[in-house]
Amino acid sequence: MHDDDLDLSTRLAALEMRVPATAQPPALPGQGRRRRFALSMAMAPALVLALVATTAAGAVVAVNLAQGRPGIQNPGQPMAGVHLECMTPPEAAEVLAAHGFTNVVWQVEAGAAVAPDGGKGSSTSVQQSTPPAHGYVVPGSILDDGSVIMVVDQRVGATGVGDCFGQPMP
Amino acid sequence: MTSIETSAAARATRAAASKGDADAFEAAVRPHYAKLVRRLVLVVGDERDAEDIAQDAYLKAYRSWDRFDGADVRAWLYTIALRLAFNHLRGRRRWLAAIGRVEPRTWSDPSDPDLWGALRALDARTRSALLLNIVDGYTQAEIATMLSVPEGTVASWISRGRAALRRDLRRDR
Repeated sequence: MHDDDLDLSTRLAALEMRVPATAQPPALPGQGRRRRFALSMAMAPALVLALVATTAAGAVVAVNLAQGRPGIQNPGQPMAGVHLECMTPPEAAEVLAAHGFTNVVWQVEAGAAVAPDGGKGSSTSVQQSTPPAHGYVVPGSILDDGSVIMVVDQRVGATGVGDCFGQPMP
Repeated sequence: MTSIETSAAARATRAAASKGDADAFEAAVRPHYAKLVRRLVLVVGDERDAEDIAQDAYLKAYRSWDRFDGADVRAWLYTIALRLAFNHLRGRRRWLAAIGRVEPRTWSDPSDPDLWGALRALDARTRSALLLNIVDGYTQAEIATMLSVPEGTVASWISRGRAALRRDLRRDR
């Protein structure tokens, strides 16, 4: 290589290295959960205190509960591993019916998951007997009478749950 | 298992694979991000524009991650980013011409102003080709593929760009 070329190469490389580049790449779609987790780790001491307080309060509530209602998809429950959260509400209704759950109350959450200022959003809740056409299915609970409550999240900015967290809203 | 359950299980698998893809993408591409921003500042001359283009390129690269051939991630990322940069410059020239303003030059280099001035005097494509060749060591054939132009055009850009830089730098001595 000619001396001039070597000099030019060195100076150009040095010039580029002097350009400030502090910007971080943007968050990739569907990475909200991991970033929130990272934030939680940074706030670990505060969270430990909050956890202790919540556990104490939760214990008081728990002893006053007549009976717990396990999630319909929890391990050992009838719909464990069926991936209701990856279905549209009508699909979930069809699968529930095929498993004998014909008495289903659909609780539809609408509104916004996040407020315009970045805080907690607000939502309205409506119960109905037919599944809505769209929304994230959040598998609910089996009640004492064998009926089922299924939650459907239609809030703007909602992310879905479980294995289909971060996927487009059905 | 019903067809709906099969389909839901497939969606769950795809979702899990997509999360794995995001991790693989970040591991491969993120290390090149800061250098990409620097390169874009040299190409478009404006730090904010460079950051915007780098962000667009990063997300565009992520969306096309499944089409990446796995060969040279830096070349692939630069290809996407430089095409966005050229489009951006074309649009900016039209806009500035429409409102009759002089093109802004946000970034300056007090350490080697002669070199930066000489580099800025070249058009963006020549500047890009020159940097890809002299700083990154890509061949003319590789640069031709990255910029979607014939190899002879790249050879001409590099030759004229190099000569112009030497001439301007000698004049400034």
